[in-house]
Amino acid sequence: MNNRITMAALPLIVFVVLLGFLLKGLFSDPRERDSALIGKPMPEFVLPDLMSPSVQHKVETLIADGPVILNVWGTWCVTCQYELPYLTKLRNEYGVRIVGIYYDQNHAPEFGQFSDIPKIRIDVKEMVARLGNPYQYNILDLDRNLSLNLGVTGAPESFIVDSQGIIRAHHMGDVNERVWRTYLAPIWNEAK
Amino acid sequence: MKLTTLLNSARVAVLSVIFMMSFNSSATEEQTQFSDPVQKELYIDLVKELRCPKCQNQNIADSNAVVAKDMRAKTKELVESGQTKEQVIDYMVARYGQFAHYQPPLNMATAMLWLLPILFITFAVFLLIKRSRAGAIETSNVIDSSNAQTLDKELDALLAKSSQRQKNQSEGEN
Repeated sequence: MNNRITMAALPLIVFVVLLGFLLKGLFSDPRERDSALIGKPMPEFVLPDLMSPSVQHKVETLIADGPVILNVWGTWCVTCQYELPYLTKLRNEYGVRIVGIYYDQNHAPEFGQFSDIPKIRIDVKEMVARLGNPYQYNILDLDRNLSLNLGVTGAPESFIVDSQGIIRAHHMGDVNERVWRTYLAPIWNEAK
Repeated sequence: MKLTTLLNSARVAVLSVIFMMSFNSSATEEQTQFSDPVQKELYIDLVKELRCPKCQNQNIADSNAVVAKDMRAKTKELVESGQTKEQVIDYMVARYGQFAHYQPPLNMATAMLWLLPILFITFAVFLLIKRSRAGAIETSNVIDSSNAQTLDKELDALLAKSSQRQKNQSEGEN
């Protein structure tokens, strides 16, 4: 008798479990995914400064003054414009060191497309003058090879690199108050 | 006269549409060339199996996202440097996670996908066998003599009832 009740209730149990599973899927963010880079060392690079190309940046110079937030951005990226004022606030009010990785979409020499770097410099200067400048400096990742090594899918994306050169956080999308408080700030304070 | 001009303009319209279509397709296609046909095969396999991390459900061969283009270029570079399929896939997975590969490995999380259907089928087969056995026992029940008399009586009563009903019906029709 008891066995019979369980057998009869089985479809209902399966249904409820399935319902819970699908409901969870309905409210999850499909763009959210684990980064493969967390806990790994920052990939090696030697890249020029965006504004003064004679200056070369690399991992050692990046972490020389302690932990840093790497922010992948571009003037073409609309969401980046929204996070510029907030990142500037982080720099001015909390003393967060932010270094930009300039991600340009157009550069593809294998298909005969080249970026207009002087124009990028003008656009960058204009934009940070208008919306705030959170950056210590900008690294020009023209062939996006560093971005590929960092698992960057687009802009904006942000990383926390600690003073040992280990990647501690990887956020895809804009940094805002909510993201800073819930995800980045705890890791930043720990890295500091 | 009018008909010919109409025909001519129609011809021009059709030709221009065809021209625009062909132009469009050649504009979106990239030319990726390999000197070694084996490497070309490997490249084609890989760009179909690697998944664009910016997109929701596209392989990198299919996507025009910047990251997909970069991954194609890197795949070509790695294939030409003589790396095997596994090495190229590992290279991408190390940067973009398992998301970037359309064939997930068998581990604790993905084992469920394989085990659940097997469990379900086993359960269903078990249930079917159990049911058919129970049915077989019921139908093979032999009417024993103690039961036979009461069953006969019931049958007679039913037959009488139905014949009575038929009779009533025919009377009513008349």
